[in-house]
Amino acid sequence: MDATHVEQGKTDSDSELERLRAQVATLEAELVEVQARANAAVAEWQDRAYWLDRLHVDLNALMRRPGANQLRLALKAARAVWWRLKQVKRHLFGP
Amino acid sequence: MTKAPGRSENAHGRDGTVSVVVPVKDGERYLQELLAALAREGVAEVLVIDSGSRDRSLEIARSAGVEVLEIAPEEFAHGRTRNLGAERTSGDLICFLTQDATPRRGWLAAYREAFELDARVGAAYGPHLPREDTSPMIARELTQFFAGFAPDGRPVVQRAGDPTFLSNVNACYARACWEEIRFRDIAYSEDQAFGADMLAAGWSKVYHPGAAVLHAHDYGAAEFMRRYFDEYRGLRDSTGHVEPFHVLATARYVREAMAGDLRWMAEHGMGRNERARWAVRAAVHHGGRRVFSALGSRADKVPSRLRSALSLEGRDEAVAATLNGSGAAGPDDGSQADALPLLPPGEHIDQMLQRDDYEVIARIWREGPAALADPVPGMADRERLRLAMVIPPFTQGSGGHNTLFQIFSRLERRGHACSVWLADYHGHMRDVWPAVLRHDINEFFASFNGPVYKGFDSWQGADVAIATGWQTVHAMLGLDGCRARAYVVNDHEPEFYAASTERVLAEDTYRQGLHCVAASPWLRDLLIDRYGASADAFQLGVDGNTYRPLPVERRTDTVIYYARHATPRRAVPIGLMALAELHRRRPDVRIILFGTDKPLHAAFPYEHLGVLTPRQLARLYAEATAGLCLSLTNFSLMPKEMLACGLPCVELAGVSAESIFGEDGPLDLAPLEPHALADALEQLIVDRERSARRSREGVEFVASHTWDHATDEVEAGLRHALRVREPRPATSS
Repeated sequence: MDATHVEQGKTDSDSELERLRAQVATLEAELVEVQARANAAVAEWQDRAYWLDRLHVDLNALMRRPGANQLRLALKAARAVWWRLKQVKRHLFGP
Repeated sequence: MTKAPGRSENAHGRDGTVSVVVPVKDGERYLQELLAALAREGVAEVLVIDSGSRDRSLEIARSAGVEVLEIAPEEFAHGRTRNLGAERTSGDLICFLTQDATPRRGWLAAYREAFELDARVGAAYGPHLPREDTSPMIARELTQFFAGFAPDGRPVVQRAGDPTFLSNVNACYARACWEEIRFRDIAYSEDQAFGADMLAAGWSKVYHPGAAVLHAHDYGAAEFMRRYFDEYRGLRDSTGHVEPFHVLATARYVREAMAGDLRWMAEHGMGRNERARWAVRAAVHHGGRRVFSALGSRADKVPSRLRSALSLEGRDEAVAATLNGSGAAGPDDGSQADALPLLPPGEHIDQMLQRDDYEVIARIWREGPAALADPVPGMADRERLRLAMVIPPFTQGSGGHNTLFQIFSRLERRGHACSVWLADYHGHMRDVWPAVLRHDINEFFASFNGPVYKGFDSWQGADVAIATGWQTVHAMLGLDGCRARAYVVNDHEPEFYAASTERVLAEDTYRQGLHCVAASPWLRDLLIDRYGASADAFQLGVDGNTYRPLPVERRTDTVIYYARHATPRRAVPIGLMALAELHRRRPDVRIILFGTDKPLHAAFPYEHLGVLTPRQLARLYAEATAGLCLSLTNFSLMPKEMLACGLPCVELAGVSAESIFGEDGPLDLAPLEPHALADALEQLIVDRERSARRSREGVEFVASHTWDHATDEVEAGLRHALRVREPRPATSS
């Protein structure tokens, strides 16, 4: 192997190294971006949950209690009736 | 006494000979039946120990051909007498029965089987079955109580951590175990004490449902309650147990127990009238038992005469006569035991914590830090980093947390992906949920848009995990997926404590190999020199929007003092002495104290302003003549804020201020001595030119000390922590 071939091999190896470094940098930037988005999502959820946390209310635990879902469905049905009545009233007597 | 014929040794090296010891006093009612049952079971050696029977007990025993040992009634004690019985017999297994416990068929074979179950079986016991005439309450309790030990009806081996229950109404002991443990010489519950002692010593015991006896508790209601008084007094003596008593809980217990009795009676075919009659008795039985067991637990508080009347045995001493440890002085050592001081009964304390507060630290010491993630070339210079800051619990006004969030919020604004994690060993913030934590950080300190976590269940790894106080370091060391770890050090925290666990743990944090970013050059040098840490420094910033010269006329007669007495490093007693001296020299000087809720006792009159908001502080600094603020450790932010408002300030010389302001900077430095501090303050009041110069120099000096600049320095420190982890490029030869 002559000097030209050695030089050529070194150049190829350097460019491969550069390419891999660039790829690592891209993946690293993606990782940070994903982390930042995850952070933002959790933070947004924490903003929304502020009053629940302040009042120590765990809605999932609450809704697992016996009768909780039935109560929710009853309220939903009552609300539907109420809206229907309002709709009929508007229809009969105007807004 | 008839000797057992020799037997071959079993698998566990025991020869299988059995002796039975029966303590008796006026036990004629069941004694004949009992001895006949023993003969039927094939027991060869039986010893009856009689302590003064006046009925036919002795005659019955002798006619049955068993050995009889007579002792004086006053010599009887449950533990001592049984030790005597064990010493006077020779069997490899020693059974104890009470005079009213009649073995059922298969009793002895069951005990032999029990000792085959494990090489370390030291004792075995069996159920007490009700007799025909036993009350339904007792019958149900006995049946259900013993059924609980073996729900599937098979023998159960119990080891350390299992129930310690053992009953000499019907129990059998391996002689080797008895010789090692022996019954304590206590008045009552010697069997319970033995059960606890043997398990603690590594022996096991067996409950065998087949080793059953018929046993009657045919006491009347009053006798029954007095017996409970004795039993719980004995239990307190032997195990320290104190029976709790609450009126409502007792009422609830009686109601539930009665319901159980009635159900049980119905299941056993009792008629309605009979059930009704027993229901009244059951109410008295269960209620009385709760009251008398609670009283027995507290016998030492009951007057002596009443105690004697309540005791079925007529005992009136408050606690047991002697409290020997297991295997300690034997029954004949009375004189020696009398000469020794008695130990008080130990109070049993239930487990209160799931784990110790500092278990996290012990784990790091035991197992070492979690492995760091592999480094990536160039990671220290990436524009954006994943930063995770671990913080200790906080309250409003925490200066250290303010520093952290002033910087961290700026790092976030620079594009780093930032998250905050609360390490709370002691549960100071256990009632504060994560969304509230996040809200409070924003309200108390600085705007932070990232998430805030309590604990580390959701830990996701980070480029740099940042510890921020000694309480956070070990928790942070246990986190995996980190490329580097750093430690933002606000102060030399070991100095917050006297000689203590906390001081040692705080010092340990500097020796964990973390790269430190210290809040002054003084602190950086201390960490390097004393602990051999690697460290950078940053300068605390000043909020220039709040702390700046205001259009307020400055007074010429007012000294203000940050008298935060609750923080010992503020040297408040010395500061107060300095102001007393100043007042003695210049009574016309107006003195104002702030930074503490309650007025302090001082040897001079002053105005108390309490805790002020930042804007109020800026106003105070703008109109005062001189400020006094002392710190025995790292330099704090407050003197800088005073200077930023143009207020000349006196601080301690020879601690940390020189590292920031130099020997002759804008700050007046004085040694920790009241007269010297008073001198410095007096000069600022008297020498108007000096005061004006200090004011001007202070504003100029602090102008460059911004939070942005502090953030630059901290970010450089964090990148430094990453850089030292990067692989070094190979050097060409």
